[in-house]
Amino acid sequence: MNAWIQDLRMGVRFAFGGGREGWTRTLLTGVGVGLGVALLLVTTAIPSALAARDARADARSEHTAPQAAQPGRDTLLIGEADTRFHGADVHGRLLKPEGPDAPVPPGLTAFPGPGEMAVSPALKELLASSESELLRERLPYRQIAVIGDEGLIGPAELAYYAGSDTLKQIGGKVPRVTGFDNSAEPEPLDPVLTLLIVLVFTALLTPVAVFIAAAVRFGGERRDRRLAALRLVGADSRMTRRIAAGEALAGSLVGLVLGTGFFLVARQAAGAVDLFRISVFPADLNPSPALAALVALAVPAAAVAVTLFTLRGVVIEPLGVVRTAKSARRRVWWRLLPPLAGLALLYPMTGRGNDGGEFNQWQVSAGVVLLLVGVTGLLPWLVERAVARLGGGPVSWQLAVRRLQLSSGTAARLVNGIAVAVAGAIALQMLFAGVEGDYTKQTGQDPSRASLSVRANTGAGSPEEVAALTRRIGGAEGVAEVIQLTTTGLSPAPDSLEETTSLTIGSCAALRQVAQLDSCADGDAFILRGGFDDTNTDAVAKPGGTLYSGNVYGTEDGPPPVAWTLPASAKDAVSREDPDGTKRNGIAVTPSAAPKGLGDEQLATLYVRLDGSAPDALEHVRTAVRQADPLLSPLALQATKESERFASIRTGLYVGAACVLLLIGASLLVSQLEQLRERKKLLSALVAFGTRRSTLSLSVLWQTAVPMALGLALSTAVGLALGAMLLRMAYAPVVIDWVSVASMAGIGIAVVLAVTALSLPPLLRLMRPEGLRTE
Amino acid sequence: MTPAGSLLIASGLHKAYGPTTALDGADFSIHPGEVVAVMGPSGSGKSTLLHCLAGIVTPDTGTITYDGRVLSAMSDRERSALRRTDFGFVFQFGQLVPELTCVENVALPLRLAGVKRREAERAALGWMERLEVDGLRAKRPGEVSGGQGQRVAVARSLVTRPRVLFADEPTGALDSLNGERVMQLFTEAARSANAAVVLVTHEARVAAYSDREIVVRDGKSRDMMQELSA
Repeated sequence: MNAWIQDLRMGVRFAFGGGREGWTRTLLTGVGVGLGVALLLVTTAIPSALAARDARADARSEHTAPQAAQPGRDTLLIGEADTRFHGADVHGRLLKPEGPDAPVPPGLTAFPGPGEMAVSPALKELLASSESELLRERLPYRQIAVIGDEGLIGPAELAYYAGSDTLKQIGGKVPRVTGFDNSAEPEPLDPVLTLLIVLVFTALLTPVAVFIAAAVRFGGERRDRRLAALRLVGADSRMTRRIAAGEALAGSLVGLVLGTGFFLVARQAAGAVDLFRISVFPADLNPSPALAALVALAVPAAAVAVTLFTLRGVVIEPLGVVRTAKSARRRVWWRLLPPLAGLALLYPMTGRGNDGGEFNQWQVSAGVVLLLVGVTGLLPWLVERAVARLGGGPVSWQLAVRRLQLSSGTAARLVNGIAVAVAGAIALQMLFAGVEGDYTKQTGQDPSRASLSVRANTGAGSPEEVAALTRRIGGAEGVAEVIQLTTTGLSPAPDSLEETTSLTIGSCAALRQVAQLDSCADGDAFILRGGFDDTNTDAVAKPGGTLYSGNVYGTEDGPPPVAWTLPASAKDAVSREDPDGTKRNGIAVTPSAAPKGLGDEQLATLYVRLDGSAPDALEHVRTAVRQADPLLSPLALQATKESERFASIRTGLYVGAACVLLLIGASLLVSQLEQLRERKKLLSALVAFGTRRSTLSLSVLWQTAVPMALGLALSTAVGLALGAMLLRMAYAPVVIDWVSVASMAGIGIAVVLAVTALSLPPLLRLMRPEGLRTE
Repeated sequence: MTPAGSLLIASGLHKAYGPTTALDGADFSIHPGEVVAVMGPSGSGKSTLLHCLAGIVTPDTGTITYDGRVLSAMSDRERSALRRTDFGFVFQFGQLVPELTCVENVALPLRLAGVKRREAERAALGWMERLEVDGLRAKRPGEVSGGQGQRVAVARSLVTRPRVLFADEPTGALDSLNGERVMQLFTEAARSANAAVVLVTHEARVAAYSDREIVVRDGKSRDMMQELSA
């Protein structure tokens, strides 16, 4: 034990006291490990950051807040006035305190008065910019305060609270609340979404672990030569291994310190970053203490283990390192064990996604890790086997192939990280594509018939108000057509609530949006058949019969229902889906056949068709709607809608994958440069006797491209196998989306090409004749 | 000996690396088939002189003429081509490509010049036989001794039948017995091929294989034969 401690300590001393070269190596390892540690810490902090976002959203939500029926000292009317601007959501609320003790929303210290607003810092910045004119027109309030952090879900959130003295209570649209102390329980995730989260984390963290293992081997060849010098002065081979482990330990400890520093910097910088429209407060980005402790212990332990493991195939003799001699051929049998064990762990969970059964998260993680780590074991064997068969070709090819034949392990190590990342990404893509249908709803909306729909559901439904809204929207830039339909209830008796149906009023052109009409003229009436939930139309819609429309529900403050006779000439018509995707039932009439004196008792829906060539038409409509009534929010029609949770897990995958690929690219670059630096003298000598620089550059490209091609082939196979297994677990059909497989492989290739391109300038520098100088 | 009829002539070479002056007005000339030793203590500028003469490094001032052509007027591409076709090199540590077998290493300059692999390796084997290392053809540099490796490097330097051979401390990493053997084979092979040899060394016993000695000290050169005849 003492010998261990003594040798480890000597290794640590070598790491820090080895002059410039020693320091460079330790720093290089430290930076590499540090980047990995920082990414691990960020990843372990993401769940808490997302939970904090949800908690912040809940804390300010009026929907689940305690509500009151009547105004009081402690009541507040709060109206939803959200909008969107150039794809970004703007969270907006109109506030009207009804008493001195009305609850102040989180992030505010006082209520903004009528015509005033408090804005988030990001919205303040946006409103001050020159591109936000249309948004400024939408929010014509004087800025009097900035919303504090506790009132925002993220630092980049666009949000405002505006004061109003005209706000009235309207059901869920403008509730009357008495507080914001929400304690709603979050919905539990379904098992397949849980599986996705576990997999995203596992697939992203495994390449980081591979990267850390590679980082502790930076500068390994120089270190081995140094160890050979130690052998010369009497160190035995076990001592040299322990000293090497000590050096790696020192590098990993430096990495832990640097990684913590990088994490703190990244945490602070996170406040200024808005990735895929998600921003988090630095204070919310806290790694779980248990996971952070695990990182702090596992990284140094892994550094020592990896060093000892890699030195097992290296014979350090007093006169040099015997690595260049032909080593024993790699065996495949034990390399197959981890992936097979991974499959064995995953297999029993086949089909569990079907019946809402739960997945054992540890079993899933272990299975996936074993399968992915299996790539790192199989790849050196595959590269060795494949390159042994290569030969011929031009000099650049020959130089590359011979180098690969001599040290295929180094080459395989270079691309291990990318291969693991690509395998994980292919599997996840397959799973995402396979279960996408379950989390993507067909909305039934038809964006080809209308780009937007506006429901005047704020109580301002009088014909004059609706006409004004229609004119205002119709006058907005880029609007091609506005189709107006109004709806009200119909009942056979003034106080009958049991048998009601709906009455749709619109021009012939508008009615054609909801029914298949052979002919139509003003004054016509139609009985719609084939609508959704059509149970009362036959009973209520009798041509020539008297019906009551308007306030048929008999609300106390509403006007009396209006008696109306369904024209005897009413024709049958087949209902068709309107642009919102609803098949209406009941009766449809043109304006001159409609009951008179309905007043506010009708709900208007406007369908807006935009001129595709007009820039910013959507924003102009939003501004026009907003100016008519701040509580109205146009709905942009879209054919499909993805589950928010599914979408955010997928976003998480993209963010994580981007970080991991950057990290692996950086690692690949450092390893590549280190390899080149080792060969500086040889490269200069080759140039000295006339080797073209292009030949050497091409040779470097082949040296990365060949293992990369093999790595991608292997990772595609493993990724497809894992993806198929995961789909079976989620009880989804096994379908391979070759386009996404190709795009994942393409990203891997792009990283390699980028790294090769970045390593060319140093390569050209290393090939300068100065490399031959020894003094 | 005067520069008249010289194959490679350098005059007034200056070269500095930052604040360090490596060459300070050095002159040099060599005739076809001649072996010239460039001697001097460590750091005197002899390797820099060799690198300038071979067109590897461009001097700051001064001219180098090879076979009537001014080296400094040539582009990097032209100088590289010249090194492939007319020059050969032997370095102190051989600088063999560790991944290639010995025969592939020797054949490499021919392959770079566009000769087909089989033909290049046949020519390489011929030179390896002359340097008594043909038994190492399938071995890699890491599997042969220092002396054997250096003889492989010599074979590589001769395989293109260069007109000028540049050798920078070719025996510097060898024991005296091996060094003697390498020098013997090297100079014999060079003379038989009528190649001029620029031999950088600080060892008198190595310089003894030359026809003429030039001493470089503090970046300046002195032709010992001229001084003796004067």
